[in-house]
Amino acid sequence: MIDASGLSFTYPDGKRALEAIPLRIMPGEAVGLVGPNGAGKTTLFLCLAGVLTAQAERLQVAGLDPRVASQRKQLPGRVGIVFQNSDDQLFSATVGDDVAFGPLNLGLSRDDVRQRMSEALGQVGLKGFEERVPFHLSGGEKRRAALAGVLAMKPEVLLLDEPSMFLDPRGRRELIHLLQALAITKIIASHDLDLILDVCQRVLVLDQGRLVAEGLTRTLLADTSLMTTHGLEVPYRLAGS
Amino acid sequence: MTLAFDVPASRPSIIARLDPRWKLSALLLYVLALVLLRSPGPALAGLLGALVLVAAGRLPWAWYLRRLGVALVMFTLFLLWLPLVVEDHHTTIQIGFVTLSLEGLARLGVLTAKLGAMLSLALLLLATAPLQDTFKAAHCLHVPGLLIQLVMLTYRYVFLIVEELSRIRTALRVRGFRAKTDAHTYRTIGQVAGTLLVRSHERAERVEQAMRSRGFDGEFRSLHEFRTQPADVLAFSLIVGYAALVLAWDLWTR
Repeated sequence: MIDASGLSFTYPDGKRALEAIPLRIMPGEAVGLVGPNGAGKTTLFLCLAGVLTAQAERLQVAGLDPRVASQRKQLPGRVGIVFQNSDDQLFSATVGDDVAFGPLNLGLSRDDVRQRMSEALGQVGLKGFEERVPFHLSGGEKRRAALAGVLAMKPEVLLLDEPSMFLDPRGRRELIHLLQALAITKIIASHDLDLILDVCQRVLVLDQGRLVAEGLTRTLLADTSLMTTHGLEVPYRLAGS
Repeated sequence: MTLAFDVPASRPSIIARLDPRWKLSALLLYVLALVLLRSPGPALAGLLGALVLVAAGRLPWAWYLRRLGVALVMFTLFLLWLPLVVEDHHTTIQIGFVTLSLEGLARLGVLTAKLGAMLSLALLLLATAPLQDTFKAAHCLHVPGLLIQLVMLTYRYVFLIVEELSRIRTALRVRGFRAKTDAHTYRTIGQVAGTLLVRSHERAERVEQAMRSRGFDGEFRSLHEFRTQPADVLAFSLIVGYAALVLAWDLWTR
């Protein structure tokens, strides 16, 4: 599903954001991506989604190479990315318009778009929100609306950047249940290590643009030395284990 | 949360039921006719027609009069000098020590009536259809999609920018800042403006990434389907017909 070797990216100002990252994620996996601020998590997502053009020895995402322009154009239909700040992603006048935005760009018929819109809003529990204005939604509703906008494109891979940010405890719990129910390949970048524990089987640790560790979630997140070395903390649930 | 730019929920009315394309075209042509008017009689007739449409649109009168009043006062302040400009051929009246030109007063009346009518039609358009439907109607009328997209994004994000400004102002106040007429105040306002600009630019970049990640290719697309009804054509004909008559009257009186 995702196969990368030597994945690197340098910003125009010369900042080396990603350094030779190897990545292998199988279909249906839920993988956590953790690391301190500035580790390169968001940059990695943007490279996988084809928004930024990375350098790599090998790079395949859902059967497409994001470095190739003709294949990069097909990526939106296969890779969905949910950004940190939902307001950056809810750019239409209404929730319905926003959820329909992606399917319309895919060239689907109006009937198909309406059906996808209805399904996606149903999946996230926002049926009836079609005419709502994004500015008037709560943090949790915005997050769900942003997710619906991506799910409406029926991606094979879902990249979620800090999905529990700005959510209250109830919104966070609802999000976890939602993510657990989604049977697609997921990579979740988050400082919320308890969410990673609940949703992800495997975790990757990124620091200063390099992949410094990968392994089973419980094993890695319980490694006190690894966590503290890379600016993280052992989740409370695993402390003492 | 309510917003200063909020419009009242559209009440059922014959104007609200009109296809937005026909409504937008009719009102734009009406406004064009208003722009060309010069005589007091036709200007008043133009205002009367606009008021009839406002009544037909069932706009909440308090909301309508408040917004119209504020806008009219603002514009009229710039025009109040017109009666004070007295030329040789003008008929004048004396009020105390002030000499007023009747032609200037008439000109003030015409401009105020025209402004009032145009503002009324703008408020009618805002209040009788969701703004995004009006934008989509404009796209159907061959307004470039890029322009529509820019206006819609501006409308979507202007509230966030206002909110951000509000947070910055609160942050200034809790650190003891009080606006005065001094260099420190001007510097602070400049820094706030610069901060807002930079944050808006960064947000714009993130929005662009989000749009591209969902396949945006520069084309404006909408799910909305418009359907013309006989009532749309009739309403268009009546509105444009009335505007044409008023304009013809104005041309005949010149």
